[in-house]
Amino acid sequence: MRLRFKFAWLLALALASGTAPALAHGVIVEHRQVNAVELEARFETGEPMANAQVLVYAPGNPTEVWQEGTTDDQGRFSFTPDTSQPGSWEVMVRQAGHGVLTTIPVAASTSGGEPAATPATEVEAGSNSLISPSTTLSPVQRGITIGSVIWGFIGTALFFARGKR
Amino acid sequence: MHIPDGILPAQVCAAGYAITGVATWYSLRQINRRPDPAAEVPKASLLTAAFFVASSIYIPVPPASVHLILNGLLGVVLGYFAFPAILIGLFFQALVIGHGGLTTLGVNATMMGIPALLAYHIFQSRDVVGKVLPEPTRTGVFAFLGGALGLGIAALIFLALIIFNIPAELNATAEQAAVLTLSVGHIPLALVEGTFTAMLVLFLRRVKPELLEG
Repeated sequence: MRLRFKFAWLLALALASGTAPALAHGVIVEHRQVNAVELEARFETGEPMANAQVLVYAPGNPTEVWQEGTTDDQGRFSFTPDTSQPGSWEVMVRQAGHGVLTTIPVAASTSGGEPAATPATEVEAGSNSLISPSTTLSPVQRGITIGSVIWGFIGTALFFARGKR
Repeated sequence: MHIPDGILPAQVCAAGYAITGVATWYSLRQINRRPDPAAEVPKASLLTAAFFVASSIYIPVPPASVHLILNGLLGVVLGYFAFPAILIGLFFQALVIGHGGLTTLGVNATMMGIPALLAYHIFQSRDVVGKVLPEPTRTGVFAFLGGALGLGIAALIFLALIIFNIPAELNATAEQAAVLTLSVGHIPLALVEGTFTAMLVLFLRRVKPELLEG
């Protein structure tokens, strides 16, 4: 079963040094909005890959797991990459011997608490645009390719079935 | 049931290619010893096309979803042609459909091809082992056994490969449970493929019996 991934990049509109303390009996809650990456793993059949294990690797350190977790019932998983380590983050999603290693580009953070500069393809007007792996073929292209391969097999059969000359 | 790239360590992939190389050489040598090696190529080619398409046909077996493999069927009907046929079919599946991968081509060919050769020998032993059964039943039963066992053994190899190659950073218990669930889903599939093989073989026996003399 092949997996096809769609990434929903959630762009948070981080405020400049946006902290807002909430005080109550000595408890301080500060919040800051950050860039998170949400990914959605599905089987080729469209069925979500629920409870699959996810391993996140930081760029430049492919041997050590940076973060691990599991997808939810919808096959979704999100993590917040460390923008001080820009580059290609690798995410491995795997379940029952099926899995895929995929690369997510993360740009460097800019100074002044601004949100990390994001790749141009990533977000349009803050919407949850989905990014599919670029190697995905359209259904028509797939159909033509599969048809050509099958015709190759049939052609071979016909060639060898032509009988003795 | 195809193992994709990046799941198995490099040594296992290399071992898979080595076994595939030997098995291909042996199969081709057996084919070359026939009086007319090319005579069965049309049949083999058409069944390779069937094998190529079969992995896109999904059968939901809750909670998993499995797809047809047909390796046992290829073994029963094609004999030694089954191994090269499966190898070629897997190569195109990896390239075109994205099932499996090029680094794991050897492992996948071993996993499906060796059980196919076993299925062939199970089917060919029908006249020796199954003497008590009357003729059409005997062919049908042994075709069923070949088709079902070919898939069943392949599923067991898959289970073993995954269980013994879980990377240390994964949660092994969860992964083992998931693999077991998927493997249990292959029991009904083995029955389906066995039945399908028996139906096809009985049909060929009635229509064109010379196709079954491997």
